[in-house]
Amino acid sequence: MTAFLVFTAAAVGTYLIRLSGVWLLGGDRELPDRVTRALRLVGPAAMAAIIANALLLEGSEWRTFGAWHLAALVAVGVALWRRTMGVTIAAGVAAFAVLLATGL
Amino acid sequence: MSESNRVVLGVASQQWRDTWAGIRAVAPLMPGAVLFGLAFGALVRVAGIDPWVGNYASVSVVAGASQIAIVEQLRAGAPALIAVVTALVINARMALYSAALAPVFAAFPRRWQLGLAHIITDQSAVVSLQHADDWPDPVRRRWFIWGASGPFVAVWSMGTAAGIALGPVIPESWQIGFIVPLMFIAVLVPGLRTSPAMVAVAVATAVVVLGKDLPFGLNVLFGALAGIGVGSLVPDGRRAAPREEGHVDDAGGEP
Repeated sequence: MTAFLVFTAAAVGTYLIRLSGVWLLGGDRELPDRVTRALRLVGPAAMAAIIANALLLEGSEWRTFGAWHLAALVAVGVALWRRTMGVTIAAGVAAFAVLLATGL
Repeated sequence: MSESNRVVLGVASQQWRDTWAGIRAVAPLMPGAVLFGLAFGALVRVAGIDPWVGNYASVSVVAGASQIAIVEQLRAGAPALIAVVTALVINARMALYSAALAPVFAAFPRRWQLGLAHIITDQSAVVSLQHADDWPDPVRRRWFIWGASGPFVAVWSMGTAAGIALGPVIPESWQIGFIVPLMFIAVLVPGLRTSPAMVAVAVATAVVVLGKDLPFGLNVLFGALAGIGVGSLVPDGRRAAPREEGHVDDAGGEP
């Protein structure tokens, strides 16, 4: 029962968070140029923050250098070269599998 | 809008095609969402949470990292309020996606805005933002965004259901957690071209690692905010607002 209530409260709160920007900045108004330029960086900044947190850290410790970092480097290289999502993921998974299999 | 516009299940064929385009745009990320759903489902099972509640979490909260945090808090015997607050802090970054999507959603009918808001995820939001300029017609745009969001949430939920039913079938030695940074590298890097975006990435990365000791995963939120703030101070060579400056920069000049 506690779990149900906690998830429900988190769901309601998260929905309001998801609605907040659409609600506050929506409508017919013309946003200032400064705001538009900042909003264009939401994707890159948020993606980078999640990547750094998941890749470089393990909780509040540094992740030990190894397969994660090397496979991520392969993925970044392939992403810059081919500029497609699918190929990037395939390359990252393949590199990670090989690195794990070789015991890194 | 002529004879080709057959209606299936109340939806015209043009709209099916636009939905399909959205599905295709996000499709490479779907296996990752299924795996992540499997992992969450297995955790629900291991933690002894009611299977229905676990499935309910994935369709109501629709945010994996926060759902995992809730389960871990409950397992550790933390007060319910702390579990909820932790989840909301983790999900605070969704407000940024919501703000960025505001101009994209502005011309949609109210019920579409309310519905699409619920299925904003990191992946669908960023894919939608990357493609929004390709869809000037708001009617076609909303079907595209529905396609990039709805089915993605559906496969996430199906992954959860499978994980709850099967338990921890994926060996821990496979370290499937790697799918998280990999998915976001695949979303971020191929479209990374402008200098403001590169500065935003560098600043966000630095702030996240410098803030590694912050509680509640606040380093991610602060990293994203710092990246946006500093990045937006960097002039964008390709878009150097000629209307304001009264002159046009050498378009497409040296990087």
